[in-house]
Amino acid sequence: MPKRRKTADKSELQRPNVRFEATLHPGEPGRAHLELDQLGLDRVPDPEGGIRVLVTVDDLIRLVDRGFEVHIVRAYPVRPLARELIADKASVQAWLQSEVKGIARRRKGS
Amino acid sequence: MYRTITQLNDIMRLLAFWFPQYFRRVLLPERSVENRPVYALRLRAGGGGERRSVLLVGGVHARELMNPDAIVELAVDLLVSHALNRDLIYGRRRWTALQVRIIVETMDLWFLPCSNPDGRLYVMNVDDLWRKNRRLNLRSDCRGVDLNRNVDIVWGVTPTLGQVSCNPCSEVFVGPSAFSEPETRNVKYLLDTYRIDCFADVHSYSELVLHPWGHAPTQTVNPAQRFTTLPTGTCAPIAPGYEEYMTPRDQLRFQTVAQRIVNAIAAVRGRVYAAETAWALYPTTGTHSDYVYSRHIADPRLRKTYGYTFETGPYVGNVPDSFHPPDPTWVKNDTKSGMLALMQQCICAIELIGGPLLQRNAEVSALRRVRDDLLATTDAGRAWIALFERVQFPIMTVMLRNQKLLEEARSLLDLAGRLVVEEGSKPETADVERVLSLLRRLVKGSREETVRTDIEAMIVEVNRLGSLTVAATIEQLMHRGPGYRDSADL
Repeated sequence: MPKRRKTADKSELQRPNVRFEATLHPGEPGRAHLELDQLGLDRVPDPEGGIRVLVTVDDLIRLVDRGFEVHIVRAYPVRPLARELIADKASVQAWLQSEVKGIARRRKGS
Repeated sequence: MYRTITQLNDIMRLLAFWFPQYFRRVLLPERSVENRPVYALRLRAGGGGERRSVLLVGGVHARELMNPDAIVELAVDLLVSHALNRDLIYGRRRWTALQVRIIVETMDLWFLPCSNPDGRLYVMNVDDLWRKNRRLNLRSDCRGVDLNRNVDIVWGVTPTLGQVSCNPCSEVFVGPSAFSEPETRNVKYLLDTYRIDCFADVHSYSELVLHPWGHAPTQTVNPAQRFTTLPTGTCAPIAPGYEEYMTPRDQLRFQTVAQRIVNAIAAVRGRVYAAETAWALYPTTGTHSDYVYSRHIADPRLRKTYGYTFETGPYVGNVPDSFHPPDPTWVKNDTKSGMLALMQQCICAIELIGGPLLQRNAEVSALRRVRDDLLATTDAGRAWIALFERVQFPIMTVMLRNQKLLEEARSLLDLAGRLVVEEGSKPETADVERVLSLLRRLVKGSREETVRTDIEAMIVEVNRLGSLTVAATIEQLMHRGPGYRDSADL
């Protein structure tokens, strides 16, 4: 059984409240750009082959500071997976029982 | 709906308990960073010794929730198909019971549905876009290592325009050292302990089938450019202009198999995945699929393993729903069909028919050397290899329905192997006739037009080559591909 943490560690306290889905574009000519790879951003696939990232507020500041033009597409609050997307134990068991019905199986005690 | 790590583990436990004749659950040696057990599952039908094997890994990136479910569902689907002699149907793609039987009875199928259990739990309970594991990084307030940057292939090198970082706060943090994480060491354990011939690391999203190399463009002309010469852990890019060597044979194999996987996925409901090198997506280092393929190059004593990365599912308008859509059913069907195609492509007909059954390993090895050391060195030779790899599985399904055909194939394979080994040998006219007779019967028994066309190309060539010596035959095949016609033929 994993140990329960009694107090939140620093990383939890510093967890962002929101992430932004954003696309990056070259900014003003003449401003120096730090190469994107040096920023270590959370890059997600872009349907048009562009540069799409998931970033925090701090990341946004850094990107603008380094000369990128940032288009914010959407904001996502940091939250757990919606409860209705998590399977419950009963339905998982029912699914498995239904799938393997008709196949001879070993019984407890045998 | 997405299963919790407890539920995934329970499914594996029940499968192994209820059906020990099919499944064995293996507790991997390393517990996760947060001390959770990690399990793999082996599926095989029938006894016997070591077999060609496929390993499927999911859940490396925590938020990519669909794939652990798809992997465990595939294990159940294969059981049901084999035990009840039922076809597997994913959308418009039907995998016949015989096709499944060949896979399950001739191979070992390894499933590691969720290699990052801490991450999956964190996604479900705290942050649905978390990617990494849950390591507490030293001297940092940021947690987690990107498990698909932590593996020992050009580890810790940050390519230009790549997605790799030495910063613990980055979502693509490589970790303090290669294989620093128990979750990646578990994958290495499976590769070190069991024979694994083919491998897929299943991720989401963007509808891709990726193959090596990921750290640099691939080239097939300069063998001196090898990753074994590159420094690691530099947190700096590779020198500009560097391109990683791969044999032409392996490049062809990666491309061919990736395309078959793409075709199997498209057949489900029309989703067309793109097959490309990992580098073409963006440069990466330390990835699972590159690592598995690199092992035999870094250490020639190790078996070659072909490694692929799947990126399942499309962008659906927003990032969370792309990683974990409300209804992942159809993406999982695509994925399962793709994984089945990989399994099918991993079967080697010659090894299957000639190896364990004939106990003539020397002859099988000789044929393999002809393929890899001679035919694979020319375009024409590689075209013949690709043709054989296209037809071998359909041919096997024909032969397995007809014991006499199978016996004849074994006998001819045995003969071919002996002829290859004996210098200056040539087949008798009667043996050539036997080959032609077998091929004609395979044409009759094959349902697919493309397979019949390929076998007919083989018939043309056997007729033309007649009773040449083996050496002359190989020379001809190296310079005349399938369908080649010179002025004498026209």
